[in-house]
Amino acid sequence: METLRNALDFSDFPRFDLLIAGLVAVFMLVFPLFPHSAFAMATMIQFLMFSLYGMGWNTIGGYGGQVDLGKAQYVGIGAYTTAVLLIRWDIPFWFSMPLGMCFAVLWSFIIGYPLFRLKGHYFAIATIATSLVLMDLFQVWDFVGAARGLEISPIKYHPPDWWRLIFKEDIYYYYVILGFFLLGVFYMNWFRKSRLGYQLRSIKDNEDVARSLGINVHWAKIKTYAIATAFVSMVGSFHACYIKNIEPEDTMSLDISILIALMAMLGGAGSLWGPILGAAVLIPLKSYLKEWLGATAGLAGIDLLLYAIIIMAISAIEPRGIWGIVEKIRRRKRR
Amino acid sequence: MDILASSLVAGLLIGMILALVALGLTIIFGVMDIVNFAHGEFLMIGMYTGLLTAQATGIDPLLTLPVAAAVGFLLGVICYYGFIKFLMRGPMVAQLLGTFGLMLFLRNLALLIFGSEDRAIHTGLLVGKSFDMGMSVIIPATKLAAAGLSVASFIGIWLLMNRTKIGKALTATALNAQGARYMGIPTERMNALAWGMGGASVTVAGALLVNFWSVNPFVGLLFTMIAFAIVALGGFGSVPGAFFAGLVVGMITEVPGIWDFFSYTFNSDWMLDVPMTSFKYTGVYLAYFIIMVLRPRGLFGWKH
Repeated sequence: METLRNALDFSDFPRFDLLIAGLVAVFMLVFPLFPHSAFAMATMIQFLMFSLYGMGWNTIGGYGGQVDLGKAQYVGIGAYTTAVLLIRWDIPFWFSMPLGMCFAVLWSFIIGYPLFRLKGHYFAIATIATSLVLMDLFQVWDFVGAARGLEISPIKYHPPDWWRLIFKEDIYYYYVILGFFLLGVFYMNWFRKSRLGYQLRSIKDNEDVARSLGINVHWAKIKTYAIATAFVSMVGSFHACYIKNIEPEDTMSLDISILIALMAMLGGAGSLWGPILGAAVLIPLKSYLKEWLGATAGLAGIDLLLYAIIIMAISAIEPRGIWGIVEKIRRRKRR
Repeated sequence: MDILASSLVAGLLIGMILALVALGLTIIFGVMDIVNFAHGEFLMIGMYTGLLTAQATGIDPLLTLPVAAAVGFLLGVICYYGFIKFLMRGPMVAQLLGTFGLMLFLRNLALLIFGSEDRAIHTGLLVGKSFDMGMSVIIPATKLAAAGLSVASFIGIWLLMNRTKIGKALTATALNAQGARYMGIPTERMNALAWGMGGASVTVAGALLVNFWSVNPFVGLLFTMIAFAIVALGGFGSVPGAFFAGLVVGMITEVPGIWDFFSYTFNSDWMLDVPMTSFKYTGVYLAYFIIMVLRPRGLFGWKH
């Protein structure tokens, strides 16, 4: 009960923020009722997925200050578990998703134990390395379709199939992921006020002091890493059902890992709204830039070029992201 | 035996070039404690520089090295003064993502300018020539020349770092930037010099590599990861370490050949069934992970 009240209690935010958050929530709930293009719908679903990824990353990367650039391997584990179980044994999504989360968390423990002996750059590069190793493995593993990947054919099932999460219209997917999204927000709201959340922030500020206060730093990091992993793997499972066609290159590439970290960074790592803000800016920008510029012949890559300029600008000018800018302005006003 | 010998020789040769690729990374890291994700993209630019200069002027690709070095030096210095300087004020997260942004920027700029197709050099003094060393060990002349020049560059950099005043100033900046500043060393300029040297050495490696490796805008990431592994193995900031680690990593990339040798020797079916060639670079990533966990200082590291 205490936990639930903590999760639903947003009273430490300014009223203005809550008003905006409420308006956005209402907008998201009724968005499909308005006339919209299929493209806008797909962008919205992408936005929700990536804000969930970002929230997961935010636990370890934002609150904990450990830059993890290997989240894509857990997207892959989640997606592949769901797809393999569905295709081979017809096991529905609602069973395979928790199972995928278990696999991912197990794997995160196995590599997390040695990984967290490293710090800073060394840790970041090592996470990339593990992710690439797993991707190479999936590229040649015949059981999961090797480099061709797996395809869930919707013809075999009768959409709307809530049990296996196979739908024809995107609107169903939208509401499923929106449900996950709201749960995620509540969970994060609980997390930032939990014991582990406070421990992590002290680790981020000064690891030695945290250790001297009796916090088991190594274990706290591993636990948080597992939480982040569970988030990412959950959305990975959803990704498999939504995209229906998964390949190692799409689900586990370094670009996905970086995008996840970037999203949280751009919005403001270590704050509740940061990853959501980041995803809300980057995802529409990315897909619309690609739509407008990438499709034009001879301009391949220009969308990513603009994207790169944004990354460079944000990291050079305001590393604390959009949320950092908002807070700076507020502080100035208060004076 | 033949496969083993040729794999080992190939591993040594490629290792010497990979060492030069990693040299720039280790210099930059040693002096300023920043990991440059755009390193492989510098290499890609070096490869394009070598290729385009050779094609435009019709001279041998090996003679384009000075041009590549100049381009790399300029690139490094411009990156430092235009971008990296501002990153250094921020936290480590910002540095990581900032250099990653630089990588995306350079890669997609190259994509926009050069297009996505593979390009390679087919002409040149050494292309197509090779030495037969017996035991079916065949050394392509391009690789031998590249390896030799790479060793020469290494000796040059090593002499610069250890026998000149500038090298001493660089080392001082690396050891204690604030102390160096008190001693009157312009650390800002030293940082820029480190970036220039790093850029120059990696573009030279690119110009050497383009003789036998086709180039496209996406070639960088693989080399970035290989360079990370080499630098980790040799010890962050160590020049001789980078050389020996380069040889080791070169060997690791030739593991498929060695694996073949053993599977033929033991005549073992399951060993032949393993698609080792798909894991050519997996070993490198794995090596990085294992080295970092077991010995974070690397073999020759003095900085951690």
